[in-house]
Amino acid sequence: MRSAKRKRKKRTLEDWIMDSVILVVMVLIVIVTIFPFYYCIVQAFNNGIDSTLGGVYFFPRSPTLDNFKTLLADAKWSRAIVISVLKTVSGTLLGLLVTGIVAYALSFEKVLFRKAYHKIYIFTMYFSGGLIPYYILLKSLGFINTFWVYIIPGMLNVYFMLIMINFYQTIPQSLYESAWIDGANDLVVFIKIALPLSKASLATVGLFFAVNQWNSWIDSVYYVTKDSLRPMSYLMMQIINKSATASSVTNAQSMGYAASALQSTTTSLQMAAMVLAVTPILAIYPFLQKYFVKGVMIGSIKE
Amino acid sequence: MLINSREIGKSVSKRQILKKQKTLQTIIIGGLIYLLIFAYLPMVGILVAFKEYKISSGIAGIFTSNWIGLKWFKEFIFGNMFTTVVRNTLVLSLLKLAIAFPIPIIFAIMLNELKGSKFKKLVQTASYLPHFISWIVVSGLCYTLFSSVNGLVNELLMKCGIISDSLRILTDGKQYWALATSTEVWKEMGWNAIIFIAAIAGINGTLYEAAEIDGATRMQRIWHITLPSIKGTIVIMFILSLGSLVNGNTEQALLLGNDLNREYSEIINSYVLKVGLAQFRFDYASAVGFMQSLISVILVFGSNALSRKFVGASLY
Repeated sequence: MRSAKRKRKKRTLEDWIMDSVILVVMVLIVIVTIFPFYYCIVQAFNNGIDSTLGGVYFFPRSPTLDNFKTLLADAKWSRAIVISVLKTVSGTLLGLLVTGIVAYALSFEKVLFRKAYHKIYIFTMYFSGGLIPYYILLKSLGFINTFWVYIIPGMLNVYFMLIMINFYQTIPQSLYESAWIDGANDLVVFIKIALPLSKASLATVGLFFAVNQWNSWIDSVYYVTKDSLRPMSYLMMQIINKSATASSVTNAQSMGYAASALQSTTTSLQMAAMVLAVTPILAIYPFLQKYFVKGVMIGSIKE
Repeated sequence: MLINSREIGKSVSKRQILKKQKTLQTIIIGGLIYLLIFAYLPMVGILVAFKEYKISSGIAGIFTSNWIGLKWFKEFIFGNMFTTVVRNTLVLSLLKLAIAFPIPIIFAIMLNELKGSKFKKLVQTASYLPHFISWIVVSGLCYTLFSSVNGLVNELLMKCGIISDSLRILTDGKQYWALATSTEVWKEMGWNAIIFIAAIAGINGTLYEAAEIDGATRMQRIWHITLPSIKGTIVIMFILSLGSLVNGNTEQALLLGNDLNREYSEIINSYVLKVGLAQFRFDYASAVGFMQSLISVILVFGSNALSRKFVGASLY
């Protein structure tokens, strides 16, 4: 690239063809990635019944906030949003604390039995008792049908722990040593020195924890039967199933729900819910990009 | 506190070291106890796969219920769902390996050839987005865009006169494999490209300059410099992805699968969930799940050993 600047070489025919092909492909990729979300936003802000007539692609034809209003006015949905936020915040904080502190302890080369500990931790990444014995365990521990079933079983994530260990190992030991000489114990060193230095890994792993919590729904389907504990993702799954059954019948007459007195249809409510589900992620991840790219690299392979 | 370098020369007994590392060891053992409960205890629960187990008997029932040998395993293998779920799991994984694996590599190479750093950044950021979006939202998007009633894709294709009858992408079993593979590509292409983008960024720029002076065309430079330079990364990633051959994507199967395409969408994981937790056949479902994790763990350790032997890199 530098040489191109120096010499300003004439672009060959091959350059023209390749650059245009690549540009077209990349533009297509961006469109295919972004458009479904854009379409979803357009539908969410369009009158539900109007949408069933078809032809609403790029701009809302009959703009309205009704879909969001209907959704938020429903006690079931507002409660689900509260549950989702609660479990995302507490799950992320507790996850970072537990996973982070274990990673810190295991990051020291000189810890006695370190190799054996590592093996015991890592084995759980590859072999598990399976879903059913896991369910039996959760049931016997009394976690079924409690809020904690969302939080406690995922607090220590071994994969995230490995990412954090790698980060901690980049902190020079000399920074700790002066604190040890001052007589600080390991917990103090963790809080005062290691934590402030590991913002990048906290951001990466925090994002992973938060996204997992925000998106998860299988735990709610199988481990919870109380409606008061349903997160947003669960309700969304339900509403999508409903419109899926509607769309699986090809006969147009089956669109009976469109004729209801409400101005919102199942589909338009679903679109509004999807916009609510995607917005927080969309607002956060681009700012954490430089961190998680590094995190993925470090976490993926150890040579 | 750790022992510091001064003390290392002296012979320090293990007990003394442990005393110094009191806090660290407590933390690590705390983590071990947690894993003992949430990861190792369920492994003991695998016993129910060989027993006649009722959930009402609780944890004690794992040990006290009657042995039944390999009855559940036989029932699964000779049952009518076996061929369907095993075929679907394997076909979907192989399609993923054949299609969803190379595409991120091609994407990373194209991205590297793209001029204009602002646009490059935009493409990259956009391509990561679907990774963070749940399969629920992805399936919701699919049901709206591909629906045979009012779905955008069918409407467009019909308006352009490409098809005369709407495609039943979501309900026709024969189209499920294509649907599953393409949504997988759509969701994870950018994310899986990260490691290749980084590998390409690490290539020495002087190689390209030298090739240019020698009159190599751009395609030749990609073929003779970029690809060979990231070959190691490609091989590692490929071998490691062999480890997940029997795992399948549970969320995708549960969400995009429906009664009409069940014959092509049901995979081992989704079958275990349905039989076990929805029909309460805990013992039978554990047996199916156990067979799968056994094969899976053999594949992981096998592919990891391969990777260590041939490319000198491994997961742990």
